[in-house]
Amino acid sequence: MSEGTLAAPTAVDEHTISLTEFLNEARAWLEANCQPHTEDTSDDIDVQVFRNLSHEREEALIRAEAQWQQAKLAAGYVALDWAVEDGGRGLAAPYTSAFDRLEAEFGAQLSHELVLVTVKLIAPTLRRFARPEQRQVHMRDFLSATQLCCQLFSEPGAGSDLAALATRARRDGDGWVVTGQKVWSSGAQFADWGLLLARTAPEQPKHAGITAFLVPMDAPGVRVRPLRQLSGGSSFCEVFLDDVLLTDELRVGEPGQGWAVAMTTLGFERESSDGSAGIGGSWELVRELALRDGHGGDAVIRQGLAQVYTRTVMNSITAAADAVRRAEGEDLGATGSLRKLQWVRLLAEISDLVAEMLGAELTADSGRRATFAWRDHVLGAVGYSIAGGTDEVQRSIIAERLLGLPAERREDKSIPWNEVPR
Amino acid sequence: MTGVLAGRIARRVFAVPEEPGVREAVAQFAARDATHDTVRRIAESPSGFDRDSWQALAGELGAAGIGVPEECGGVGMGFAELAVVMEELGSTLLPSPLLASRVLAVEMLSRCAVPEVRPTLRALVAGDLIGTVAFGTSGRRWRPEDVGVSVRPAERAVVGVEPMGCLLDGEASYVLDGAIADVLVVVGVDGGSLTLCLVVGTEPGLSVRPMETIDLTRRQAKVRFERCRARMIARGASAVEIVGQVLDRAAIALAAEQVGGAQRCLDMAVAYAKQRVQFGRPIGTFQAVKHACADVLLELDAARWTVRAAARAVDHLPQEVPVLAPLVKAHCSQMYESAARACVQIHGGIGFTWEFSAQLYLKRALSSKALFGTPREHREALLNRLGLDSTQRGER
Repeated sequence: MSEGTLAAPTAVDEHTISLTEFLNEARAWLEANCQPHTEDTSDDIDVQVFRNLSHEREEALIRAEAQWQQAKLAAGYVALDWAVEDGGRGLAAPYTSAFDRLEAEFGAQLSHELVLVTVKLIAPTLRRFARPEQRQVHMRDFLSATQLCCQLFSEPGAGSDLAALATRARRDGDGWVVTGQKVWSSGAQFADWGLLLARTAPEQPKHAGITAFLVPMDAPGVRVRPLRQLSGGSSFCEVFLDDVLLTDELRVGEPGQGWAVAMTTLGFERESSDGSAGIGGSWELVRELALRDGHGGDAVIRQGLAQVYTRTVMNSITAAADAVRRAEGEDLGATGSLRKLQWVRLLAEISDLVAEMLGAELTADSGRRATFAWRDHVLGAVGYSIAGGTDEVQRSIIAERLLGLPAERREDKSIPWNEVPR
Repeated sequence: MTGVLAGRIARRVFAVPEEPGVREAVAQFAARDATHDTVRRIAESPSGFDRDSWQALAGELGAAGIGVPEECGGVGMGFAELAVVMEELGSTLLPSPLLASRVLAVEMLSRCAVPEVRPTLRALVAGDLIGTVAFGTSGRRWRPEDVGVSVRPAERAVVGVEPMGCLLDGEASYVLDGAIADVLVVVGVDGGSLTLCLVVGTEPGLSVRPMETIDLTRRQAKVRFERCRARMIARGASAVEIVGQVLDRAAIALAAEQVGGAQRCLDMAVAYAKQRVQFGRPIGTFQAVKHACADVLLELDAARWTVRAAARAVDHLPQEVPVLAPLVKAHCSQMYESAARACVQIHGGIGFTWEFSAQLYLKRALSSKALFGTPREHREALLNRLGLDSTQRGER
């Protein structure tokens, strides 16, 4: 053991609670404190993939989830595997996955994308890159969802090719001036902050000239415009930045380290426990539909039902296998790309089967319960072949990083960003 | 069992680690005794069987004793380890009666309470005898109506037939390794009762005719019984239960074999795509090729973990087997065929030749897809076992 080595913050000491004790306490606490939110007062089924709430209802949902996060934090059920000095409990990974599962049993897991992004993606990213003052203030605020933070990553000209982003941050005295446009920011209309990726060195190759910043969403020059998606709601926004002034204290990581910050955030997205749970329709609802409408005897429908069941079970089994492997320290690499495609496939198989069972009742409202409501699933599912990394990009990632197939020649990786045709 | 529950079950079975050393032992055996040349030679021989190869597999490696308790002459461990063996051998396509003898015959006999079968069982486990099972006539997913053998208990007066002796008449088809089997477990009908009988392969009343198969690495035969002497080893409800359990386990074992074969197909395709150059670059740089490989891995990886969970469920959560067995068989059959087709396709013209090995995998994929029932039939069975039988009528 070399001198001067700091003890690891997550070292387990003899006072660490056993997993069984922890689960018993957690279960009791959840039983006493959890009030699963019901967003929908209608008595129809909820198979939304993307939310379609009024601004007020969505704001109320976000507030309720933020309050729940604060209650959990006060009781010691947040960031269990973080060091105590960062706001965690220094417990090993199995405790986190066990609590997540318990919470899911109670239907109390976080569901709003803005809250999830703030707590599960941005807070841990800051933990990795932020300076001490930023950790003390922003990281803790985000971990507790006292302040909410959206991602300001993608742009109209930089979607799949995120590294090509053009929003510019120029040095202005000790601070920075930012001009550009972001798109597909979930929940930006409700966020207090945004984690921004901006170009600070256009003469560098694209990956090297990016820097990350925290942007107050109420700063002068920041304008948020919700986007309406084909499934009806407005989960995403455009964010326009016109000469927004930022102090250097708001920079996250070193100048030029922005791509590493971005990759870290996206890495947490891949790792986070099955965030797809509860989105869209389920095997149970599909089965109910088949039984209610007498499709259970149709041979073709039966094959589709078996396929949806099979896919549901396989997705669940692979998620469990991944959790075990991660807990044993295995690096799963780009396995998340496989799991995302598996989930997208399930959404599509459910869409096809439900369309077959409902016929025109899917596309025109007959007034009957659990018919037209399925359009939320069918229309919303279309978005997930694109969001979170398109199917095409995921397949290339799988082929290159999991199978080792050679990458395509890319013209733009090593030349200055400002010389790449756009 | 749905999503959350499947996850909970999976976590429980994955908490049990794989017995170390099995996979490596089989891989070492395969590197020496299941090379492509060996596989070709045995497959293209008249009988499709090599006794020295079987001796090495069953005798030295002890493959026929995996998952059999040591007190029954086996090497211990469980079905999970047998599935590992099937997977590793599946990647080589080594022709052997392991499926017929260990997965079918041994599983049948070990469930029969008749003490007289013990010596036969021990000999099968040791690999000294080769066994198989004759299920029925259609080769479709087995149902009692499929049985084509009638069983008559022999009268005491018939010379040379012991108590519990019987006579068989009829036929069975698609009998795996029927031509080389030393003993056969025959599913028959005695009046209205399903019956299991043990038949010695040299019985005069038994005639075996090999069926021509597209897959030369797994032979099948038609078996005819004419007043064939046999010993009854199970009857009625217990026979029905035994056949059901054995076929479920066989489905999982075969699914494991399919995972192994598909993995080899993907490995071959990827290796070729990295090295074959056209239009000035490796064809693996083309997205169509890249994405075809990714699509195979997508279904293969899900299959791999689901089969592992199913195999472990046999040992640790048997109540989940009736649902998991048809589920994995249907999925893995389609997955394997897709992988084999992709392997042929990615190899271009070479993939379509007799000489190149891709065709052997495609034929094993097609053949194993049909074996024990098609994916469509297994999905039907899955729904029935979930309580969704086809007579469901709704409020509408």
